Amino acid sequence: MSDQGIKSRPTYAPISRDATGARHLLVLDTTQPPAGAFAEGTALEDFPERWSVEAHSKAIPSPHADDLLHGFRSTSHLLIALRHRLAQEHMGFRLYAIGTESFLWDVARAAAEAGMGRDEYRLLAAGSAARRVYCVHCRTMNEQVTTNLVTCSACGANLFVRDHFSRFHNAYMGVQIDAEVPGETLPIEELYP
Amino acid sequence: MMQTTLLLRVVQADLLAPTLRRLVLEAADGAHLPPAAPGAHITLTLPVAAHGKPIRNSYSLVAATGQHYELIVRRAQRSRGGSHYVHDQLAPGAVIEATVPHNLFPLATQARKHLLIAGGIGITPMLSFLSALRARNARVELHQLAAADEVGVFEGLLGLRAGDGLHVHQGRAALDLADLLARQPLGTHVYTCGPASLMDAVQDQARALGWPATHVHREDFGAAGGEPFTLRLSRSGQEIAVDGEETMLEALERAGVDARSLCRGGACGECMLPVVEGTPDHRDHFLSDAEKASGLLVMPCVSRAQCATLVLDL
Amino acid sequence: MTTAFKTDETFRDEFRYANSDAAILRFPLPFPEDAYMYSVNIEPHFASGATNVFHTAFDVDEHYVSECRERALVLAQDPNRCIVLPHMAQAQWDTLELLMESLARDYPQHFSLDRDGDRWTWQNRPLGIHDTFTFGDTSTLPYAPFEYITRQAQGDFTLQDQRENTLYLDGGIATTQADWSVEFNVGMTFHEWHGPVPLAHEMGIFDRALQYLMRVRYGHPGRRLNWTMTVNPRLDTSPENYPAWGPDRTTLTPENIGDRLHLRVELQSFYRLPRSNALLFGIRAYLASINELARVPKWGRRLHRVLRDLPPELIAYKGMTRFHAMAVEHLAQFDDGASTAPGIGADIDHLPG
Repeated sequence: MSDQGIKSRPTYAPISRDATGARHLLVLDTTQPPAGAFAEGTALEDFPERWSVEAHSKAIPSPHADDLLHGFRSTSHLLIALRHRLAQEHMGFRLYAIGTESFLWDVARAAAEAGMGRDEYRLLAAGSAARRVYCVHCRTMNEQVTTNLVTCSACGANLFVRDHFSRFHNAYMGVQIDAEVPGETLPIEELYP
Repeated sequence: MMQTTLLLRVVQADLLAPTLRRLVLEAADGAHLPPAAPGAHITLTLPVAAHGKPIRNSYSLVAATGQHYELIVRRAQRSRGGSHYVHDQLAPGAVIEATVPHNLFPLATQARKHLLIAGGIGITPMLSFLSALRARNARVELHQLAAADEVGVFEGLLGLRAGDGLHVHQGRAALDLADLLARQPLGTHVYTCGPASLMDAVQDQARALGWPATHVHREDFGAAGGEPFTLRLSRSGQEIAVDGEETMLEALERAGVDARSLCRGGACGECMLPVVEGTPDHRDHFLSDAEKASGLLVMPCVSRAQCATLVLDL
Repeated sequence: MTTAFKTDETFRDEFRYANSDAAILRFPLPFPEDAYMYSVNIEPHFASGATNVFHTAFDVDEHYVSECRERALVLAQDPNRCIVLPHMAQAQWDTLELLMESLARDYPQHFSLDRDGDRWTWQNRPLGIHDTFTFGDTSTLPYAPFEYITRQAQGDFTLQDQRENTLYLDGGIATTQADWSVEFNVGMTFHEWHGPVPLAHEMGIFDRALQYLMRVRYGHPGRRLNWTMTVNPRLDTSPENYPAWGPDRTTLTPENIGDRLHLRVELQSFYRLPRSNALLFGIRAYLASINELARVPKWGRRLHRVLRDLPPELIAYKGMTRFHAMAVEHLAQFDDGASTAPGIGADIDHLPG
């Protein structure tokens, strides 16, 4: 059972600034974008307004409207502020996100809830490739999966981590690998470090 | 199995303004009328002979209940005669043929706000939008451009109340499009209907302000059909006239040619035919860009010709 | 068509299922020739074609009562097999109207619909249902409208919202599906939910099919056939319940494969819905064992050839790896090498023997 190379898996490209947009906001789940994050012709300076995650409890975003750089304690903290910002924004706005896949699709969900279409945001996966895996049998999310197989934390099924990804659920599908013949499985490999 | 043509009887016809006639139609047999989404239109077959064939005109449904359809028709200055017929000859009791509703101008399900910009007779789909959006308690703002002598008519049709977000402007210059579009909240969809110059202006201004194309909608009624042309079949020598309202495939079938087809929608490839001479007007989704550019193949179910005579290897 | 309903069938556990001769002869074989590959095989859906399966909007056959009971069992065990996102509320009523009008028109002996303004009375005699409700008011129905009416139809259904130049799977009921999850796929675009299908993307099949589907007009539905194979006449081959049906694939033997291995054909139909402008997809499953189908001489030859020459990617994708060779071997007895006529029809009026 393999669907590696599946066409529904999101693909990502280095971020280029969308010249058709009027205002731009870049959000990161780290403090700095990784090398190679930007396409040719685009640089960090093209995003004067940037939000990042400092991952410590003392981080406090600036209260001043004209400060363009803000640091947050966590992605949850950042997403709260993002939803409020999107509720006040106007047409012509473009959103860019760089970070783990889970972070990206949380950002995309906030954008969709604000009525933004897929043309209005750009995403680049960076950092850990660990996956959130949805056990299709018992509907439990298994977090931070780095291997091709994972034992479901709720129902114990030995799940094969498929490439079939749901942007809506922000998770990959996990299906029991040995449903036909118990014990007939694959060697475990760390594929998503 | 499903009905595709309706026979409609005119129940009521009255002038809202010298060039605006409102029609209320019911099913000639008293049956339920097919439902329609806001933005839908029907196409009437008007018995006005133009080049020997009746005229088919599309009109937005201002309202559609199970019993009645309501239209408003502008008497066009330059016309093949369709709108003149509707104004001058179509009277209560008359029965005309119509298509079931078709919708190329639907409301966006994910919109946080709907901005409606119309000019003149372009108000008709907006009226159907307004009823639906109010029923859903959705955010809506409407700007109607009107000539001086029609401002009152449109204000009446809209039933303006202070603060309800509906505005009638006298003339194009009275509306600052750039300002209007720039201040719309994220998640707004804009819908425009009226003269092509207005719709073009809305699209151009929205694009310039960074609106994505997916959030800008215009009512075109679809561009089916085209200029008439002649088909010549190189092997049999047969010549077939394809008129403006039929497809190449329909013309071939009408002429008794054994033409293969399957989806009849330009997607499956079954009807593909080789071209010997002439330039096809490709409207299909099957051929590659290179195949289209070569001009050696054509999908007769949807494509047409850019030249007067298209020669097929048949 | 008078239908004698087989009311005692089961699609699980002890399995009790068979097709009458008439059902076999009308079976919608998905193979117009002796080899199979993906294509955009959509055609207009109207009363035409080689089998009268195509002659009504939504086919009701001898398995109707039993299939509706099976659906109710699945939903009782797993209510999330029917999901509709909130913005598709109008499409729910569109679906209810379309199915009620179609069934009452095509099978007046079984179904009646009486409309008095928005007070509707619906009778489904095979299932013993007689309900009066207010169209548009969910509180007057025992279930939300989409679930209410699809519980009375054979086959799965999905609701698509057309936006951003694609289709979004924003609702559906899947209790007879060939290994896909409506709960997981909800919210996906057309290309995304077809992601797992091998080869077809590279062939441009989905690009073209999408263009066609987005142009489907009210009053002009389309249809196509799809297929896979199922061990036992099991309708619920969902990923959710794979631990329950997966082991079936290891129970085939040369002696039982003819009766146990079933061809599972999906008659997909595509309707534009009038009030919501959404698209409704019907996915109607037909099951027949390979022995049943081989009673039609043309089909016995054709099935052997199609399976024998099936590309390996399709064998794997359709879950046939364990038994493919055994099936081809079993079908060889029905293939004398004679030529077969093109087209899917049985080309005979009654089954020999």
